[in-house]
Amino acid sequence: MTRPSKETSPAGAARRRPLRLRTALLTAVGWLVAVGFLLPYLQMALTSLKSEKDLTKSPGGYLPDHWTWSNFVDVWDAAPLWTYLRVSLIVAVAATVVTLACALPAAYYTARYRFRGRGAYLLLVLVTQMFAPTALVIGIYREMVALNLTDTLFALVLVNAAFNLPFCVWILHGYFSSIPKELEEAAFLDGAGRVGALTRVTLPISMPGVVTAVVYTFIAAWNEYIVALTVTASPDRRPLTVAVPSFVTQYQAHWQYLFASSLIAIVPVVILFVFVERYLIGGLTAGSVK
Amino acid sequence: MKRHLTVAIATGLTVALGVSGCGKGSSSDDGGSDGKSIKFVAAIYDSNAEPYWKALIKDFEAKNSGYKVQLEMVDWTQMDAKVKTYIQTKQAPDLLNYNSFSDFARDGLIYKASEVVSPTTLSDFTPTFVEQSKYNGDQYALPFISSARLLFYNKDLFAKAKIANPPKTWDEVKTDAEKIQKEGGATGYGLPLGPEESQAEFYSWAMNNGGGWVDASGKWAINQPANVETLNFLKGLKDAKLTQPNPETTDRKTVFNQFAQGKIGMAIGGPFTKAGFIDPVNKNLNFGVTSLPSKSGTEHNTLGVMDLLAAFKKNDGKNKEALKKFLDFLYQKENTSTFLKKEGFLPVTKSAGDALSSDPYMKQFVDALPSSKFAPTSNPAWSAVAGAVKQSLGSSVANKDPKKVLDDIQKTAEKSG
Amino acid sequence: MQDLETRARDAGATARPSRPSALRRAGRALTPLVWLGPSLVLITVVVLWPVVEMVRTSFQKISSSGVTLGGNGTTNYTDLFDEDDLIPVVLRTLGWVAGIVITTMVLSLAIGQLLNSRFPGRRIVRWTVIVPWAASVLMTSLIWKWMLDNYSGLVNRVLLDLHLIDEPVNWLAHPWQAMLWMMWVAVFVSLPFASFVILAGLQTIPEDVYEAARVDGAGPLRTYFGITLPLLRPSIMIASIINVINVFNSFPIIWAMTGGGPGHSTDTTTTFMYKLAFYDQNVGESGAMAVVNFVLILAMVLMYLRAARWREEVR
Repeated sequence: MTRPSKETSPAGAARRRPLRLRTALLTAVGWLVAVGFLLPYLQMALTSLKSEKDLTKSPGGYLPDHWTWSNFVDVWDAAPLWTYLRVSLIVAVAATVVTLACALPAAYYTARYRFRGRGAYLLLVLVTQMFAPTALVIGIYREMVALNLTDTLFALVLVNAAFNLPFCVWILHGYFSSIPKELEEAAFLDGAGRVGALTRVTLPISMPGVVTAVVYTFIAAWNEYIVALTVTASPDRRPLTVAVPSFVTQYQAHWQYLFASSLIAIVPVVILFVFVERYLIGGLTAGSVK
Repeated sequence: MKRHLTVAIATGLTVALGVSGCGKGSSSDDGGSDGKSIKFVAAIYDSNAEPYWKALIKDFEAKNSGYKVQLEMVDWTQMDAKVKTYIQTKQAPDLLNYNSFSDFARDGLIYKASEVVSPTTLSDFTPTFVEQSKYNGDQYALPFISSARLLFYNKDLFAKAKIANPPKTWDEVKTDAEKIQKEGGATGYGLPLGPEESQAEFYSWAMNNGGGWVDASGKWAINQPANVETLNFLKGLKDAKLTQPNPETTDRKTVFNQFAQGKIGMAIGGPFTKAGFIDPVNKNLNFGVTSLPSKSGTEHNTLGVMDLLAAFKKNDGKNKEALKKFLDFLYQKENTSTFLKKEGFLPVTKSAGDALSSDPYMKQFVDALPSSKFAPTSNPAWSAVAGAVKQSLGSSVANKDPKKVLDDIQKTAEKSG
Repeated sequence: MQDLETRARDAGATARPSRPSALRRAGRALTPLVWLGPSLVLITVVVLWPVVEMVRTSFQKISSSGVTLGGNGTTNYTDLFDEDDLIPVVLRTLGWVAGIVITTMVLSLAIGQLLNSRFPGRRIVRWTVIVPWAASVLMTSLIWKWMLDNYSGLVNRVLLDLHLIDEPVNWLAHPWQAMLWMMWVAVFVSLPFASFVILAGLQTIPEDVYEAARVDGAGPLRTYFGITLPLLRPSIMIASIINVINVFNSFPIIWAMTGGGPGHSTDTTTTFMYKLAFYDQNVGESGAMAVVNFVLILAMVLMYLRAARWREEVR
């Protein structure tokens, strides 16, 4: 059983050999990678600040000729962005909660206990991971009709929750399995009960796994496209992903609005990531394992 | 950490419950059951469309108390997929703004026109369009807007290349394109054969070479020699570098963007092209509009396009009453002509026709309509054919043999009936 | 593991000694259902049901307007196998998946290592690496499409200014170039997740393992291939399985950038399937394609699991 360790420990390489050159090189590469990852989004920001006329120029300019900051004001009038944002948020949060509520007990139980059907269940989880909503979209739509759930956010929540569930079970199962059962047994013998041992001992240690599951589901639901496209119809039930591309249609190309609203959709999620990133990785050392 | 998680879960649950609580909200009751509310799926032609319908519906509901119209706007790029899922899952709207209807008629999904509009409205439709709305001899579709295609040319570039008159024949198109390329430093002809609307571009050329989709008896004749010749001509233009690069991925938006910047000499466009594509980029472009060039130069046909409304059967005909009320209201002269003016389309009714002829730009298209030929929308297989054309026609000027491409489309057509 | 369960049972037994044993046995048999039930219900109702619908659709005749006209035997399948484009599309899909997954894994091993090293600003670099994951794939594809635009795109502008090309290149119009660019975008959006899984994996490797290697005098290369890589195996497996699945079913990238065109020359099975349904108006054949698609992915993942010996992971 491997034990989670601290991040590359200062007691290791750094102290033994002074590695200034190595650090300098790493820094350079690191920042280069960062720029590489940001470049498209920088271009997105620049494009969103161009005027419509600017956009049709060929060859295109690097920077806007006129910094059209008003695009970010006008875009709210050009489409009901608030509604789209709200829909995306509701679907993503609710799907995450449902997924977690279903995945946590299942992952915990399969990690801790042997029982008949355990292998079958894990195989089911593994196989259903391969099912993508894209491939099943007609089937999904027909089902939602049968359940009288077309054009509801509830349908989107269900689909997003269900299709991300297998991954969450899988990753949580992995984390729970890696936690020494002795820790839990101790709590169990202290009279905490099975559920108590789970919530008091196992869950806190599994925070990185839980956070990963949450982030994965949230992002997948926030970015889901094809099911939302086919299952929802009313404008007030459409998430951002479906609404945003309609700025560029057969007859018009408002790239500036498209990218302005894309940025509006991206920024909150990036901020969310910035907050949970500590848990995502650093959580391993923050726990009480050591 | 534990408290954080508990709080997070509690918040999440609250939201989730809120969602399921309001999941089936007020506007999703697709009505119909009381026969007084209908669902209308309209196409987004441009950003004027939605405000127009909203205002019209508000007006309608105010004048007909108790009746309700639930509007859904769908972009053309998503329309085909949307319509298919709706129908397949028996969720068809009561009224649909679309560009084909005959397979709905064949499958018994829509009302005959006479069932849902008053005789006055029915008799107001221009005969050309009534013909386009028939399936097996009965009119099912309600013509909504129409459009015609003509050749747009940049007068400044023509002057620069010392060309006196716009081309009448295909040979002239080619020599003019060469001159524009050489003297004007611009692309001669803008050829949009991308998946957006290649069927319209192709047909605009093919019909002026005696080609077309069907033969005289109405059978599919997509791979007929005249059509192959047409594609070879277009491929020739491209191979001689007289078109913009990669016609197979270009759509009209791009072509007219370049046209408006004075970088393309000629391109085929419709009445909406000026307001929709040219004016936003360059209001002062000096351009002219002329009839489509033909192979021989003697007879010039125009591509006619008609979009329509189809009324779906629902709840054993209970929705007929509301549909009739709404449609008769919509087809009142002032209501239709407002839409046409806003969107730059041509009328389908006699009464709205006069309103547009006062505009000299629009008049050219109105005048071209009588000589127009239409895609065979009354053939139920047309939507499948159009789909196949859109995705594969462009490859005929790129990497595939024109004859082979047309053979494949012919196969699809025959398979679809 | 066994003792915990036994203890749990014992605890239950001492607490309620009078309970009839048959009932207790039934209760024990039902316990897994309590824990697994919600997830089973959700998976069955929302994931498996549409699969059944999909298979049913593939044997039905569905008219172009979308009305089900009844059974169609295996006609949909024979029609599908008659398509000239089917084989190229399938081969292209396999190349697409293999190319993207391999590139992603190699790059993410490097990026994971980088993010695990100490250097000033590491936290910020980590944040930036997450960005493509946070941004919707569709939006990322659209900005790439815009950057590759023939007329106004940044890529052409830069290459023109560097005099690497003489005239603008219509990147997305040439099947090969378009394919490579789209694969790059797919790698770009896959990297964050894969890198973070690798990073998390790197952090579970105990420091004393490295100490031991150092004492043995192993060089950095030997340490990496002898210790780090084998210990990363579970992370690599998770990252690449998820990547295979996502990439195989990736719709938005191709749909936004080329729509699978010109013709079918940049289609993968997913976009081909979509176009069969909504362009060729043949939902039944599209259903058949969905089934073929599914069988393909099943085969690929099973092969992968065999290679990765998943049973050991489950145990």
